[in-house]
Amino acid sequence: MNRTLKILSVAILLVPGVLFGISWAQYRVGGWLAESCPVFHTQLQLCDTGGTSLAWVSALLFHMLLFVMVLATLLTVAERKWSAFTQDRIGPERARIGPAWMRKHSFGGLPHVAADALKMIFKENTRPKAADRDRILFWLGPVLAFAPVFALAAVIPFGPTVPVNGYAISAQVANPNFGLLYVLAIASLAVYGTSLAGWASNSKFALLGGVRAASQMISYEVALGLSLVGMMVAFSTVQLPVLIGSAAAGTGQAQYLWQGSVLGLDFGVPAWGIFLQPLGFLLFFTAAFAETKRAPFDVPEGESEIIGYFLEYSGMKFGTFMISEFIEVVVLSALITAIFLGGWHLGFAGDVALAQGLGKSHPVLYGAFCGAVFAMKVVFLCWFQLIVRWTFPRFRYDQIMTLGWKVLLPLGLFNLFASAALVLLDPSLHWLAVAGLLEIAVLAGLTLTRKAPKSGSGHEAAGHGTPDVHALPAAAASAHH
Amino acid sequence: MAYYQATKDPTTDIRERTYVPELLHGLAVTIRHFMRNLFFPRDTNTDVLNRTGTSQITTVSYPEEQVTYPPGYRGLHRLVPREDGKPRCVACYLCATICPAQCIHIEAGEYETTDASADSRVIEKYPTSFVIDELRCIVCGLCVEACPKDAIRMDTGRHTPSEYTRSGFVWDIPRLLEGPPVNHPSDPWLKRPGSERPAHAHLEKHARIGEGLVPLKLPRPAHPVRTEVTSGPVPVTKFLRD
Ligand code: SF4
Ligand code: SF4
Repeated sequence: MNRTLKILSVAILLVPGVLFGISWAQYRVGGWLAESCPVFHTQLQLCDTGGTSLAWVSALLFHMLLFVMVLATLLTVAERKWSAFTQDRIGPERARIGPAWMRKHSFGGLPHVAADALKMIFKENTRPKAADRDRILFWLGPVLAFAPVFALAAVIPFGPTVPVNGYAISAQVANPNFGLLYVLAIASLAVYGTSLAGWASNSKFALLGGVRAASQMISYEVALGLSLVGMMVAFSTVQLPVLIGSAAAGTGQAQYLWQGSVLGLDFGVPAWGIFLQPLGFLLFFTAAFAETKRAPFDVPEGESEIIGYFLEYSGMKFGTFMISEFIEVVVLSALITAIFLGGWHLGFAGDVALAQGLGKSHPVLYGAFCGAVFAMKVVFLCWFQLIVRWTFPRFRYDQIMTLGWKVLLPLGLFNLFASAALVLLDPSLHWLAVAGLLEIAVLAGLTLTRKAPKSGSGHEAAGHGTPDVHALPAAAASAHH
Repeated sequence: MAYYQATKDPTTDIRERTYVPELLHGLAVTIRHFMRNLFFPRDTNTDVLNRTGTSQITTVSYPEEQVTYPPGYRGLHRLVPREDGKPRCVACYLCATICPAQCIHIEAGEYETTDASADSRVIEKYPTSFVIDELRCIVCGLCVEACPKDAIRMDTGRHTPSEYTRSGFVWDIPRLLEGPPVNHPSDPWLKRPGSERPAHAHLEKHARIGEGLVPLKLPRPAHPVRTEVTSGPVPVTKFLRD
């Protein structure tokens, strides 16, 4: 029970508390920056921010450098720890630091972060002789792999725009009016890093990894983009904050499609992307996995056969590749949160009341609360991505291509046309939601109606009353009758 | 535990064809394991198969938790001492000869007649150096079988401890010689003048190796005497004691 309580308190109190603190500090520092550098400030604009003040620096510091980077760093250990738990192991716990009383505890393996970082930084940075010819490209590889993924986080709104000291402070580094297009454009740049690394290493395995990464990117980038078009159509915007909407105004994903109220708290079906576009969500999630180059789509790395495009890299250069992979996990989780999971909205239980009450009286607290909700969704999705990575078997290379071109792409096109037609028929999105909920119901029905055979009780339980002789070896089947 | 068996024909079942429902079932399995192992304390019973509890972790966290060895486990070599603390070994080279890994190196010497222990000259030969490279040893036990003097045994119940250097695994007499002294009724050692055992005792039945064995539970000496070479390759012969 002790352990249960500890874990629960970390999950329910500590993590949300820290996330709340980060978000709160960002708004406060943003407000202070906007106030102290009035040159950059134009006027209080609640919808359009970004260029109005220096507040974006605070978003850069607190959300990109602190939240995204630290979460990605923690994920390196979390991956090992969580994979251990799914596989009934303990996972890393031997790195101990600090005074004697601290050394008695493993802190969930967290000191391994420090150990890994130190190891990466102080390891010898080797370059194979064969890579001498392309030493600039060799050096550019990790940079080009890291920079685009990190830059992706710039357009992600980690919280609502709230007034602080009379200035509109957003939790977003930049809010260009081409928001999602920026994401798609920059995300595909990351493949240059991996391809260059593969090419410049002048090693056949690394080259194979780079080529695999490039071809995988080509086949999944299309599905990645197409799966989002449905959402763009539904809300007629490509700006992420507009997609998320505002609970007070009832726009974007914060609006309720069908609304009810229990005990003064609002409940209902929110217009979240996952309800409007479950198919789009599934496609995007799948393509996102291919984008992060993680299992089940980890052929560019292919540890078991070619090691991957970073084969020749050592030290922090390899560390850069690794961390950019985890940053991509975080950023894609944040994107999915913003596009499909209602961003910083709870979606129920007094969302509107909170926005109209706390949002008016204590906007910073409300903003920080929303920031914590957003970040918690991101953390959850990171966890989910890692669990998926440790559940699914990896695809063969031709299966990946088949999935990309023959399944995801047609499905994406179908989803786009169907959604567009439904939005055209009913701009209030209700028909789209009905179609989406139907899709979810079909999937849930298929999942829940599977009859798993009871172990040891024979095979009749599996089929429809007829023994499934195909599944049995001949001897066992004859003994069965 | 009911593990799912793929009995359905994957070419016709819609759940298999659409792939996603089956993936969700797989996810359910891993998430169930994850939650059980995350939220519940680990059972530390070293008998892994008999672990109970909600957590399903099967790890034995080694130095803190140790699986008890099976009764037949023998363990690391030791050189058996006589009652006067000298090795029973008579440097006959039988063990070194039979050793398939060729990891025993012996140098023979003779007890001096002027030695204080001159009365031990009922046996003239003794090893001035007896070295086993525990890294090379394949723990076959042939040396124990070959020894005519019951002078080398594998009954410590310990396995080779870890070391930081290769030379640390080269064990010499000070490290090997340990444990309770052993006497056999037929030992020439017992025929020396002043022996408490009657000289005719050698007519008695010969004790078998391992008979009346007390399992050794001696802690290792705090600072085992060892010779180390820290530079260059380390052939066994470099570890001869001077
Ligand atoms: S156990 Fe086998 S390998 Fe080891 S020292 Fe004895 S004879 Fe050699
Ligand atoms: S240990 Fe036994 S076999 Fe080996 S040299 Fe000594 S007496 Fe001979």
